[in-house]
Amino acid sequence: MTMALSLFLALALAYAGLTSLSLAMKRHHDQVMGRKLQPERVRYYRWPGWLLLGGSLLVTLTVWPLGLALFMAVGLVAVAGLPLVFLLPYRARLAGQLAVALPVLAVLCWSTVPLAVGGW
Amino acid sequence: MKKSFRQSMAWLHTWAGLLLGWLLVAIFITGTSAYFREEITLWMQPELHDSTLQPDTVDKALAALNAKAPDARSWDISLPGPRHTAAELRWQPAKQPENEGRRRGEQMLMDADSGEIVSPRATRGGNFLYRFHFELYGIDRLWARLLVCLATLFMLIAIISGVITHKKIFKDFFTFRPGKGQRSWLDAHNATAVLALPYHFMITYSGLLLFMTLIMPWGIDAAYQGDRRAFFSEVFSRGEDAARPGAPEAMVAIGPLIEQTETRFGKPVTRIQISNPNRDNAQITLRVNRDPAVTDRQRGGDPTQVFLGNTGELIDTHIPANDPVSPGWRIYNFFTSVHMARFADPLTRWLFFLFGVAGCAMTITGMLLWVSKRTQQLRRDQQPDRALKMVNGLNMASITGLMLAIAAYFLANRLLPVTLEARESREIQVFFLAWLVSLVHGLLRPHRQGWVEQVGAATVLWFAVPIINMLTTESHLFSALAWQHPAIASFDLVCLILAGLGGYTLWRLQRKPVPAKPRRARPPRAANTSTTGQTPAGETQ
Repeated sequence: MTMALSLFLALALAYAGLTSLSLAMKRHHDQVMGRKLQPERVRYYRWPGWLLLGGSLLVTLTVWPLGLALFMAVGLVAVAGLPLVFLLPYRARLAGQLAVALPVLAVLCWSTVPLAVGGW
Repeated sequence: MKKSFRQSMAWLHTWAGLLLGWLLVAIFITGTSAYFREEITLWMQPELHDSTLQPDTVDKALAALNAKAPDARSWDISLPGPRHTAAELRWQPAKQPENEGRRRGEQMLMDADSGEIVSPRATRGGNFLYRFHFELYGIDRLWARLLVCLATLFMLIAIISGVITHKKIFKDFFTFRPGKGQRSWLDAHNATAVLALPYHFMITYSGLLLFMTLIMPWGIDAAYQGDRRAFFSEVFSRGEDAARPGAPEAMVAIGPLIEQTETRFGKPVTRIQISNPNRDNAQITLRVNRDPAVTDRQRGGDPTQVFLGNTGELIDTHIPANDPVSPGWRIYNFFTSVHMARFADPLTRWLFFLFGVAGCAMTITGMLLWVSKRTQQLRRDQQPDRALKMVNGLNMASITGLMLAIAAYFLANRLLPVTLEARESREIQVFFLAWLVSLVHGLLRPHRQGWVEQVGAATVLWFAVPIINMLTTESHLFSALAWQHPAIASFDLVCLILAGLGGYTLWRLQRKPVPAKPRRARPPRAANTSTTGQTPAGETQ
């Protein structure tokens, strides 16, 4: 169960990270936020994006041994990125909202675990 | 005239991709299914579904072996696990046929609840699809492997040349522009390729590494040096035991021994081997599953305890040692065990399956893009020429054709009489027959309507799988039995998902009869013949 939650968290972080990175790009910023991206604000999206991806990697490191964790982390980026790519042209706002909702939901799920299972 | 490097790479990507693309689509689809080959086999043997591990399964297995082969030289019981429900009982008969050099044990399957011996319908199960993905079917094994190896090599070339060709790899990272014909296929091809690039590279490169040992025997020798020694010693000791059959003597109850081993290793016992059963020199070997080792090669197999059969005394505890391995072997082990997902628990296995689906999507969109681009370059009054039609037809056969052939294979498993002679070959014949029909159909109707018909047929067949399953077995989606073993219910659910995807595709195909025809004038035509590198940016084809 904890493994499923870890995976969910890693996926949610990867998705949020990728969305943040896409928000640092003009075209997708327009799509999701409905307004122009100010060039000086790029870093507000790029840095958190990489940090979130790093967080996703950290979570995979708790589940698998190093080599496999690295591989699974890049795999999760693909699994999280494909929905994002295909959401952007159709439901851009939803893509943005999910980037906030999924990690929050994942963390909430985690917070219930210590009660049920007794910690990590 | 000289072409730019990028253009040469685009040419290479286009033609290397096309030439072996059809084969690659088949390899990817069947290979993706192979992550679940044991689950597929389980689904295809419904006679075994009503079987779950019980506390008394071991006793019943011993009773069954006692009844069947009380004087065997050895017994071997594999208990049910998450991927197979029945207990597998094997034994070495006391009297061997003299003329046969190789000793073959006997085998039967036991229902883990009732203890009854069950004989499931004959089927190749998921192994057929698994084998197909690296040695095809019906051709000489070595040649088939060489062909698949060649396709893998082309795939590696296509990956590398694709990355070089793709100009705006980072700018277009998240870009998908729907409803624009060729442009949309290109975006979809790029997205599935680039996002899952590490996976594609890993699966291709490790595929080549696996072939290295499959084709060249000296590779096997080097890789299995440790295991081979273990293998010989096992065979040797078995021969020694056979020369010295002990006097008849009852064995101790096995329950406490199992408890002892499970406490020692903290894992359930999965396999029980007894040499010289019912004799005074009986030895009981209890194994638990080894820990997954991704980069190390473990020597000596699973953690094991050995007991004396007549007294129950513990005589040996064996913990496999991780051999220190060189970086080269470490990388080799990593790639090959990741390719085969040897270590994976169900969740990780599902992730691999999803990665595989991304791989399928990448090859499929590439093939469709090839046709889409050339169709769009036609002038309004121009009909596609024979070559383009043929490519389109072959695309149909390799994509929708294979999908509907797999569904037909599963349907045949349920509909063919259980007692049919050579049943497992008949199932495979149905598979190839369906595929052949789709190939002929695709070549005869290589146009949009043809696609609609094939997608429609595939959708119906995939939807039929769980329905027919419901009519012919007790373990369908609305039964508790199927949910007892999640693999069985998941199989039906995946069929429904595939049918749903087919239905969605059908709807999209119907909704927009002619996509992307009303476009601006076509500058790419000029660019195509010139060598000035004026092709639209980001084109990978």
